Amino acid sequence: MSFTDSQLERYSRNIILKEVGVRGQKKLLAGRVLIIGAGGLGAPAAMYLAAAGVGTIGLADADVVDLSNLQRQIIHATSDVGAPKVISAKETIEALNPEVTVNTLQGLVTSENIMTLIEGYDFVIDGTDNFPAKFLINDACVIGAKAFSHAGIIRFQGQLITYIPGQGPCYRCLFPSPPPPDAVPTCRQAGVIGAMAGVIGSLQAMEAIKYLCGIGTPLTSNLLTYNALTMEFRKIKVAKRSTCQVCGHNPTIVKPLDYEIAACDLKSKPA
Amino acid sequence: MELTISGTTKTFPDDLSVTELLEAEQVATPQYVTVSINEELVDQGSFDSRKLASGDKVEFLYFMGGGTRELY
Amino acid sequence: MADKTLPTPDAHLDITGVVCPVTFVKVKVALDELEPEQVLSVRLNDGEPVQNVPMSLKDEGHKVLKLSDNNDGTFTLLIRRGQD
Repeated sequence: MSFTDSQLERYSRNIILKEVGVRGQKKLLAGRVLIIGAGGLGAPAAMYLAAAGVGTIGLADADVVDLSNLQRQIIHATSDVGAPKVISAKETIEALNPEVTVNTLQGLVTSENIMTLIEGYDFVIDGTDNFPAKFLINDACVIGAKAFSHAGIIRFQGQLITYIPGQGPCYRCLFPSPPPPDAVPTCRQAGVIGAMAGVIGSLQAMEAIKYLCGIGTPLTSNLLTYNALTMEFRKIKVAKRSTCQVCGHNPTIVKPLDYEIAACDLKSKPA
Repeated sequence: MELTISGTTKTFPDDLSVTELLEAEQVATPQYVTVSINEELVDQGSFDSRKLASGDKVEFLYFMGGGTRELY
Repeated sequence: MADKTLPTPDAHLDITGVVCPVTFVKVKVALDELEPEQVLSVRLNDGEPVQNVPMSLKDEGHKVLKLSDNNDGTFTLLIRRGQD
């Protein structure tokens, strides 16, 4: 493929980078990234990937935009309240970069559909807000040999790790099983600053871009934690757990499974 | 003995188990925390029996969800 | 340009119609289409392009063989493509 003049101008700051260059930009344009969860983490991730010229972005989310989402989910606007998140996000992406193909799944990602869903993508971004979904994405990506970025945020803290098949631990190595749905007596609302989702979601986009371009060192075997109050980033080195149920020596999880979603997550759930 | 907890070196009594360290460090939800010692993940089931040695580097990994809820 | 020691360019590019940073980007694209050691001739404007483009190319491992003034406000830059 050759670039049009407008592509050269649009992506000039990518192409100028020695590490990206012409080839890296071609890889981005041919790249396919699936973002599960079009909320706090998915919003900046989707926008930066679209801006960078990632050719195909998949979005999966069952929710509609709520007014309380707008404090952090910057891909949605006030006029989108009530609209499906994937549709609102698709419109924002298309306005930002009409060259991007956006695939949408307006519905829940489950053990039934996840393997088919991730199949066509090069990289998966976990932008979900609940543990059943996080474990489901991890297991599916390990089983399907798919690279993905896991992230979580709460209050002023965030963390992320990248999984690449055959390299380092998976999310289940770090946390063997989700906390039971009744682990916490109430679904206590914790709050989070929108910029926290921006920081961590942007880091996830960066990992996807590096992976697509084949540059740098991925955040595998390291959990990066961020404390906004003290402004500390820490890279915690973690090894694979040989007893891991999904990526260990004797895996007992050989197909994705659904965990029970906490009751409070089934009701209205601002992600 | 000296242990490095989350990057900070502190003094602890000798013969400390992981469970005792979690108490000493006042970890709020010890049943949901992952512990790594010198970059190796420790099985939850061995928190009581696993003793720490002077110079160990310990990290606590916490569940973090999507932002607006404590655990779920 | 009658210098016999200089190689014949394998490709030509005119970037006088564009401004920085698209100038450098266009040269990068043209070089990417060549094989290592092949030679690209670039016509570029005096001023910012002539100050920046040769330097940026050197930073990326390409060799600037010659920069000659065309005496019409443009220059001709001869570059040997570096290795990958």
